[in-house]
Amino acid sequence: MLMGRYIPGDSAIHKMDPRSKLLVMIAFIAVIFLANDWLGYLLLLIYTFAGVWLSKISISYFLKGLRPMLGLILFTVIFQMLFTPGEHILFHFWILQVSIESLINAVYIFFRFVLIIFMSTILTLTTPPLTLADGIETGLSPLKKLKVPVHELGLMLSISLRFIPTLMDDTTMIMNAQKARGMDFGEGSLLQKIKSVIPILIPLFVSSFRRADDLAIAMESRGYQGGDGRTKYRQLKWQSRDTILVISIIIMALVLILWSKVSK
Amino acid sequence: MEIKGGSYTAVIGHTGSGKSTLMQHLNGLVKPTEGTVTVGDIVIKNDSKAKEIKPVRRKVGVVFQFPETQLFEETVLKDVAFGPKNFGVSEEDALQTAKEKLNLVGLPEEFWERSPFELSGGQMRRVAIAGILAMEPEVLVLDEPTAGLDPKARIEMMELFESIHAIGQTVVLVTHLMDDVANYADFVYLIEKGRVIDCGQPHDVFQKVAFLKQHELGVPKATEFAVALQKQGVEFRRLPITRAELVMVLSSMKNHLGGDL
Repeated sequence: MLMGRYIPGDSAIHKMDPRSKLLVMIAFIAVIFLANDWLGYLLLLIYTFAGVWLSKISISYFLKGLRPMLGLILFTVIFQMLFTPGEHILFHFWILQVSIESLINAVYIFFRFVLIIFMSTILTLTTPPLTLADGIETGLSPLKKLKVPVHELGLMLSISLRFIPTLMDDTTMIMNAQKARGMDFGEGSLLQKIKSVIPILIPLFVSSFRRADDLAIAMESRGYQGGDGRTKYRQLKWQSRDTILVISIIIMALVLILWSKVSK
Repeated sequence: MEIKGGSYTAVIGHTGSGKSTLMQHLNGLVKPTEGTVTVGDIVIKNDSKAKEIKPVRRKVGVVFQFPETQLFEETVLKDVAFGPKNFGVSEEDALQTAKEKLNLVGLPEEFWERSPFELSGGQMRRVAIAGILAMEPEVLVLDEPTAGLDPKARIEMMELFESIHAIGQTVVLVTHLMDDVANYADFVYLIEKGRVIDCGQPHDVFQKVAFLKQHELGVPKATEFAVALQKQGVEFRRLPITRAELVMVLSSMKNHLGGDL
């Protein structure tokens, strides 16, 4: 599975601050909706592929990230194609119709999906999960004034991220152990399939509780007392390349807004 | 590799040497990419189907490392009966077998109706092992069954397996404890980087002290002690591998020398 995987590297994008990458990632999703003609989309494509190229990660990883979403993308694209009303009708059948407008719309939607997925893949492939969690924590720190427990959220996030692989290992181990006791998975009726999850789920929960208990004790015995007065080992550093990145997305947004004004 | 019926075979090797992968081949959790695994009259090949493999799981019972993590039922008894029920044994018969096996592993009757999560670590492990034994496998595969147990529980557990072996059960023990191999096994395979580098009876294998050291595998404590004595000039015809042997050899030497050693 590619989701949330990190590929170590030494590219310009790898070295960027996670906050700038997160910010640009979120801004990019908003910017995508500013584009409404092929020139706009071309610009977005160039922007995204510049990112892909700068990250120095093989394009095949991005395509792999796209694969699990492909069904959803095609589903949406086909529905857009069949149900969007338009003037120049090419094809008509019952309530379904395909017009030039709907075809163009479908293509745009397709690109929107692909671009958003590519962008988020750049973020996850070039940022180690814990750094990302740090980025989210510091990014949310202004919310402290609104009494949002930012430190606790950040801590929970980094602990969860760290335990994902461990829990995955546990799951395989328990599955194998139950298979060895004659359990069949993914066979029989829906009810049987649901029932067959119990012998995995209960041990998994029990071991998670135990792990949580052990971890809490280990943390306390090492002097953890909450977020107040803690220093940070991993320092995030905002560099000039981060500023450039943020400026680039602002320029993109401005260009797209201007272009849509002009073309009208 | 061959495991003889009724034998007590040990497999030793480093972490990452492929012991666990080998073990998963024995009951079809992993299919071989090349070659075959033959269990009784069933052959597991690369293209074997799940249906064909299931009977193997009944013949070969695997006790994984830390088996207490696989418990899930409401009561101890039900959990032990889970295995046989999966192989189509009726509820009553399964519970009957479960009771027998719980007696065999030495868990007192007062615990049978309790939740497995109320038990101590050692008791939970007994329940898990009873759960495998309840399937009445022809071969019992144990992956480091004493990991994390205190010395007393460790000896009790090893004695339990020895007693099961004594009544004709084939046992395969995966471990890195050379003393257990010396004390209990009658055949041993040494594995390194996914290959069998040596095999034979523990007595013969543990004579090759230099070879074992070279592959970063230890020797039993008794053998180590004997080697140290050898350096001091004591001569052994064959290196003893268990404590009992060492004591025997030394006391016979003592008698020989007229109590002067």
